[in-house]
Amino acid sequence: MKSKATLFFNAFLVIVFVLAFTLPASAGKTYKLGMSLAITGPTSDAGNPYAKGAEDWFKFVNETDYLGDGDKIDCPIRDDQYKNDTTKRFFEEFLDDGILIFLSYATGGNLALKRDFEEVQIPVIPASYHEGLIVDANYTFMPVATYSENAVGLAEYITENHQGDNIPQVAFFIHPSAFGRGPLEDTQKAIAEGMKIEIVEVVEHGTDLDNTAMLQRLVSKGVQYVICQTVQTPVATMLTDAQRLGVTAGSFGEKGKLTFLGAHYTGGSDLIALAGTATEGYIWADSYNLTSENNEGAKKQLELAKRYDRDDKAANSHNYGAGILAAQIATEAIKMAKSADLKVTRENLYKMLQKMNFNSFVAAGPVTYSETERIGVDVQNIYIAQDGVFKKIQSFESQYIQKVRAGR
Amino acid sequence: MSQNRWLATGNFFTSYKQEQRTFFTHLDRTIFTCFLVILFGWPLVFEISNKYMLVLDNILIAIVAVMGLNLLLGFAGLISIGHAAFVGIGAYSVASVCQVIGENHVIVTHFWPVLIVCAGIMGAIFGAFVGLPALRLKHLYLAIATLSFQMIFEWFIQFMSFFNQGQTIYVGRVHWFTGQVGRSDHYLFWYYIILTLVVVLGFGVRNLLKTKYGRCLVAVRDNDRAADAMGMNPGLTKVYAFALAGFFAGVAGALHAYLYRGVGFESFTLHASVGYLAMAIVGGLGTLNGIFWGPVAIKFLDIQVEQFSEFVGQYLTSAPNVATALKPLSFGLVIVLFLMYEPRGIANWWRIVKSYTKLWPFRY
Repeated sequence: MKSKATLFFNAFLVIVFVLAFTLPASAGKTYKLGMSLAITGPTSDAGNPYAKGAEDWFKFVNETDYLGDGDKIDCPIRDDQYKNDTTKRFFEEFLDDGILIFLSYATGGNLALKRDFEEVQIPVIPASYHEGLIVDANYTFMPVATYSENAVGLAEYITENHQGDNIPQVAFFIHPSAFGRGPLEDTQKAIAEGMKIEIVEVVEHGTDLDNTAMLQRLVSKGVQYVICQTVQTPVATMLTDAQRLGVTAGSFGEKGKLTFLGAHYTGGSDLIALAGTATEGYIWADSYNLTSENNEGAKKQLELAKRYDRDDKAANSHNYGAGILAAQIATEAIKMAKSADLKVTRENLYKMLQKMNFNSFVAAGPVTYSETERIGVDVQNIYIAQDGVFKKIQSFESQYIQKVRAGR
Repeated sequence: MSQNRWLATGNFFTSYKQEQRTFFTHLDRTIFTCFLVILFGWPLVFEISNKYMLVLDNILIAIVAVMGLNLLLGFAGLISIGHAAFVGIGAYSVASVCQVIGENHVIVTHFWPVLIVCAGIMGAIFGAFVGLPALRLKHLYLAIATLSFQMIFEWFIQFMSFFNQGQTIYVGRVHWFTGQVGRSDHYLFWYYIILTLVVVLGFGVRNLLKTKYGRCLVAVRDNDRAADAMGMNPGLTKVYAFALAGFFAGVAGALHAYLYRGVGFESFTLHASVGYLAMAIVGGLGTLNGIFWGPVAIKFLDIQVEQFSEFVGQYLTSAPNVATALKPLSFGLVIVLFLMYEPRGIANWWRIVKSYTKLWPFRY
């Protein structure tokens, strides 16, 4: 009997001993987030590094106790292969798991789920910067300037730098979807508001591997500038063809030649890898800090990539930076809620997001939101491809986009 | 037939009427009734997450679509590579109404059963129209004709501003006797609606095949010249088969629109058409129960491969690339293996199991 009591006492001591060591380690809370994006399939060239960026940031947060108190973030990353139905399934699964913030991806997927986001009142950080996502939406927090801001901003850049008395003749080269068409519509609205450019032609590209006819037609119509709003591959094909035909402008706005410009997903190190020297002179609007700038922010991005053994392609991709930023916004919201001694719930994170103001090493400017403002980084950088890298020309904020939004 | 209506040990039919029974024995009917009771009853006993309810609803919608395709492909012997476009016609019929009168108009929210039927009729009209080339074309040529319909459909949707150029057109929440069906009940509500439709349409197909119209389909499939000689109209039958397939697809499309509360172009692409074809082949062409097995098998495979990819991802750094390969690989492999080793589909396994249990303990 006595030995039995001793045995129980000893067992009790062992349990207390084990718990004493395990409790501090598991004392922190785990906050659940969910991410669904196209790691494979269409647009995976952007989605793959984006996923890596987010994954690395969350690893960094957990390993360095960034949130304090041993708190961690658990963010499963799912590959929806750019299928809206699959995105919806993942979203429902994440909701069942009780996620606090949803990190989403494509324009189509976000538009399809827009009503759900509002109904369940969940903050959403998309990878798509389509202007329509924040129209009649309260819970979508756009990380950076929209594609429309990029396109209208580029049009403004053209009017400011155009040499000659004529109105700049512009063509649009766009993706055949809302992702491509939205910014075109907003540029047309900006023209109606008084912006001095003329849109001569709009080309909705297919999967053609030769743009000779199109480029020659544009030249014959007197087009000087081509604004691209699509993904990198068709732009790379077009730039290569333009180089072959000798119609690429040697300097900005060169008469009889074409100056190419593009929004967020049309540029970056991946474009240079695809098109090589044909990219020279290409002008690109983007709200991310590039590793080719070799500044403090770029160094931090490369350090993070090195820490988690990412290859050079991913490490230098602005989409890797975009993934980091989305993850950072979610992390900062949790951190803010903790600092304010608030319970980390969806409602409180929503409140925190509306007060957010922080500097990210990957972004071109501070990330700020308010009760009425749903775009984090308003600043855009204008880059130009020179000697195989993108170099910053200037930072700016589009003026006409404010008028377009006011008239919406 | 044996005097014992509970067990059948052989074919004892003495009249055509006996042969046309829906259930050959009382045991068949009882098992089927129990199965239906379980299908309708289990959600009341077990709580299931929205994710799995959505998966189940999706399978049921695919069953409705494959019913139509199987009528066309399995029973009438015609081919359609544009079935997803017909499903899209149904979905965009609902979306068009939403575009014109608003997503929350009473017709959309209260008269949804009427809209679903109308979507089916729209599917049937387009089906009949696309079926017209079937009067002159066969096999590969007919496949190309239906493929072109798929392409035309995609082009139209993507370029017409009325259809939002392929981006989501929202569909409002429906109302039931208890009021608006909220988010928490949405998937369960549609589970019951779609399940009821599957049962009704399933009986419809079963009974159709007993009628002269159903027999016409099979006769034209087996030999259209012989069917013609016997007084049937092969041309009309083919068009009618396309219309039937279009009706089922249209209904499936409308259900999809209501379930997802929106219609977007991505759900009705050529890829989806190939998926429906795979479901019909894997399930078993020209069989009623194959209609059910195919969608279940393909959708189940899809999710299992997805989970397997995630499992592999824990051990391989190049997990995304593995996932890229695994999904199409498994999908293609399953179709090829079925075509090679079991062209009669899973329905044949079901037939073997059924006959074995009926004849047991005798082998013959």
